[in-house]
Amino acid sequence: MTRRILAAFAMAAGLHLLGTLLIDGYSAPFAVRALLVLASLLAVASFGQTLVVLLGGIDLSVPFLIGFGNVVAAQLYGQGMPFALVCAIVAVLAAGLGALNGLLSAGLAVHPLILTLGSGTAVEGAVLLWTKGFPAGSAPQFVADFVSIGGSVGGLPVPLLVPATAVLALLLMLLLARSPFGQRLYALGANPAAAPYALIRPVAMAMATYTISALFAAGAGVLLLGFTGSAYADVGQPYLFQSIAAVVIGGTALTGGEGGIAGTVAGALVLTEANTLLIGLGLPPASVEAALGAVILLLVSLYGRTPPLRASI
Amino acid sequence: MIGRESRPALVLLVLLIAVMAALDPARLAPRGWGTQLGLAAPLLCTAAAVMPAMLGGGGGIDVSIGPLIGFVNAVLVGVLVAKLGIAAPAVLVPAALLLGAALGAVNGLLATVVRVQPIIATLGTYLVLSGLTLTILPAPVGGAPDWLRALAGGRALLPLAALVLGWAALRRTPFHGHLMATGSDARAAYSAGVPVAAVRFLSYVLGGAIAGLAALMMTALIGSADPNIGPTLTLVAISAAALGGVGLAGGQGGLLAALLGGADIFLLQSVLTGFNVSPFVLQIAYGLILVASVSLNAALRRSGRA
Repeated sequence: MTRRILAAFAMAAGLHLLGTLLIDGYSAPFAVRALLVLASLLAVASFGQTLVVLLGGIDLSVPFLIGFGNVVAAQLYGQGMPFALVCAIVAVLAAGLGALNGLLSAGLAVHPLILTLGSGTAVEGAVLLWTKGFPAGSAPQFVADFVSIGGSVGGLPVPLLVPATAVLALLLMLLLARSPFGQRLYALGANPAAAPYALIRPVAMAMATYTISALFAAGAGVLLLGFTGSAYADVGQPYLFQSIAAVVIGGTALTGGEGGIAGTVAGALVLTEANTLLIGLGLPPASVEAALGAVILLLVSLYGRTPPLRASI
Repeated sequence: MIGRESRPALVLLVLLIAVMAALDPARLAPRGWGTQLGLAAPLLCTAAAVMPAMLGGGGGIDVSIGPLIGFVNAVLVGVLVAKLGIAAPAVLVPAALLLGAALGAVNGLLATVVRVQPIIATLGTYLVLSGLTLTILPAPVGGAPDWLRALAGGRALLPLAALVLGWAALRRTPFHGHLMATGSDARAAYSAGVPVAAVRFLSYVLGGAIAGLAALMMTALIGSADPNIGPTLTLVAISAAALGGVGLAGGQGGLLAALLGGADIFLLQSVLTGFNVSPFVLQIAYGLILVASVSLNAALRRSGRA
């Protein structure tokens, strides 16, 4: 397991070295700061996905909830509501959807892929209907400062987002390694049939985990609002693929029960490096998309392979 | 022919037809059937194209199916017709089916030989194919051949009938039994001597070939090549198949289930646009009906077992 995480970090470092050799200014301070901010945003969006995947599920409502957090926060704050209240409303609504995802997927044994796709689609439709397709508003200045590429904190030349993401990752690692919740999550993911005998309640666990995922996604949406400055319901779409890819490149198995947060941090770095490198090479956007797909397929086939069926008999 | 997992979709179909009959009986007149069939054909074929990989279970899914159809559409009209001047049905039809099958084979190789989890493998090919489509065809071009456009109306029955007959023939082969066995319990199937990896590989090839057919029907309907049409199809196709009762866990459903789900989504679109509601309401309805139908399905399955 640790080997895969180290391999992912080595891959990120290798890509960075390649970028520095091929592209002028790839390692310039501003470029590195931009890279760290983008990787942090992706990591925040992928943390909740990691927990859901550890449980043996998958959360395709992540991109829609990013858009939800993004648009609802902008709209409400733009109408003059205090930002703390805005965040509370966004969090409560997102948590409600996450809990529903968990309840239906575990309670009725509905496949989470279809379920979260459906619930996410409905939420995006509702957001678009509410704003009539033209969301307005923006984030308060301190959110913009929190994620600004030019920002600095203490003596560090990075915005507060970067160290905050690192602390968040450490807290989540602690939660997974030391808390009963973490133990139960791994147990349930590794063997869902046996977990109830260990007095683990699958439905309650799924509700908690999908709720956390929804909160992280909506939070990433609010952060993206500070980053881009204006609301956009489809802002989360690239994160559908990237949040899952970051988890898998980080060595977490989609079958559940194996992997963790450190891998996702490495996966977010790898994806951001690959994306920046391809854009830096001057490729047109369509080719960047195609090449990114190819690069991810290559990376995952190098060290994200699943064991053969005969190994499970 | 239609299993109990497809019953909610069948009920929904009857309801939608009843609503349509009440609101706008003229739309149901036999005169309009041909046009409706032509409009529905691409969606029906697309829903059928995502079905085989889902039947194989083990997380099998092909999310690249939309961009795959978009890519075949771009190659057919943008390259073969516009650049090379080839428009004969004897070339274009096999070209579409073979190109689809070849791209399906790439997905199948990634999922079964390289053993990348299918959703990641096909999300990767999703990006590659949608990027490639925009590279070979930056903007839409017209010029689909006349014989193909003629397939947009009532004659869409021909390819759909070919699809149904082809599937009926396939059900008589050992492959179908192997696929359902693999989807129901891959380890048991493997222990019983079913070549699980080969069966799953072939399910992606089959889905790709059906996607080639879907690309032909899409080209017939829009009469052009459009680089932006593909990516939007994946979501609708997976929704349609799941709605019809094709289970993601594998071994559940079949062609009729996928077509039924596709017909549901098509009629839902018709009824809601008939009401003149905003596309956002349509999107909410999609999502809610998808959640409700898979939940209902799962609840029925539970009560059936208890």
